[in-house]
Amino acid sequence: MSKGLVVSPEKCTGCRTCELACSYSKGDNFNPKDSAVSVMFYDEIGLQIPMMCMQCDEPHCMTVCVVNALTKDEKTGVVNYDREKCIGCKMCVSACPFGNMTYSSRLKRVIKCDMCGGDPQCVKMCGYGAIEYKELDSALDKRKIIANQFKEAFGEGAK
Amino acid sequence: MKIKIDGNLYEGIPGETLMELAKRNNVEIPNLCHKIGFEGQGRCRLCMVEVNEGRRTKVVSSCVFPIKDGLEVVTNSDKIKKMRKDIILLLLLKTPNNQYIKKLAEEYEVTAPERYEDLTNTEDCILCGLCVKACEKMGTSAISLVNRGTTKKISTPYDDSSKDCIGCGACAEVCPTKAISLEDKNSTRTIWKKEFNLVKCTSCGKYYTTKEALNFINKKLGEESSEHICESCRKKSISKKFKESYKDYASHIK
Repeated sequence: MSKGLVVSPEKCTGCRTCELACSYSKGDNFNPKDSAVSVMFYDEIGLQIPMMCMQCDEPHCMTVCVVNALTKDEKTGVVNYDREKCIGCKMCVSACPFGNMTYSSRLKRVIKCDMCGGDPQCVKMCGYGAIEYKELDSALDKRKIIANQFKEAFGEGAK
Repeated sequence: MKIKIDGNLYEGIPGETLMELAKRNNVEIPNLCHKIGFEGQGRCRLCMVEVNEGRRTKVVSSCVFPIKDGLEVVTNSDKIKKMRKDIILLLLLKTPNNQYIKKLAEEYEVTAPERYEDLTNTEDCILCGLCVKACEKMGTSAISLVNRGTTKKISTPYDDSSKDCIGCGACAEVCPTKAISLEDKNSTRTIWKKEFNLVKCTSCGKYYTTKEALNFINKKLGEESSEHICESCRKKSISKKFKESYKDYASHIK
């Protein structure tokens, strides 16, 4: 079974260190705007949720990409992004049903979680274990439940 | 297939070009009109290298030259360096005020002779054709190289606004010299003389993309989506769903 990022919102303190770590490894500076992970705040119930690419089984971003800059690694399950091939048409940004892709005009690249090639920086820098990188065996059922919720909410949009 | 570049041996894949082999092995060959995933164009001629075939040597454009077993390639002989300088000089004379070309000229220690210099020239395009290729890849082919000789340029059919353009801006993104202007002003996007009415996010009210681009996506995905929600609002609504599965969370911490 492949490894993946497992998020535990109840452990997240909202420090946003993951965003800084991500933007520095994806880009060249500490700027949450250039980060593939973003922490959403729900102050009314005191909850923070780090959100990032779900590495879909049938990625919409990959389907709309005309130059094959986005590819699904069958072994790891990661949807990888090739900056060299990308022509910056930004179709993937609009196609992602989860809004987990952004385009940075400054860096001339798509900002997307690729699990840092097996060494996720957000996991490394999270001091509270809110983002974990582990085998998806145990987490898979949980993920499936969430996926079903999305399907209900978004119909065919979320595959 | 063994190819020798500047004295180092590299393993080539049959069918690839010299440029592809060099890029794969991180061998630096300067170029302006090549992009990984695009076919070589042989347009900018900056990727000239010297190839030894037995006793003969010849100068070829590495982006369109297919590799052969036993090739010996030299990427920076004096002859090649001189040629590169000449090419950059011609580019500098064509676009004397372009920052990218100016920097390139500086890097290669090229200065334009004063009597040829025309500093009033505001041309930015070096006719590398990358924008045309990008548009072709999108399947729109709204722009193309038109005319010949000194009047050669990149334009839409008859210089009019193209009905095929979807306003994605890929041409402007791949342009090395930033010669293509894409202007977003309030609710309109202007590119290649075409004005697009941008689509408004029904959730936050931000103008975020063109109607034509959304149609392009729907066609690719084979589905009809009537919702117009920008990416950050989409992320917000997803995380809200997430939050709802933590309904009892607030009571838990109280």
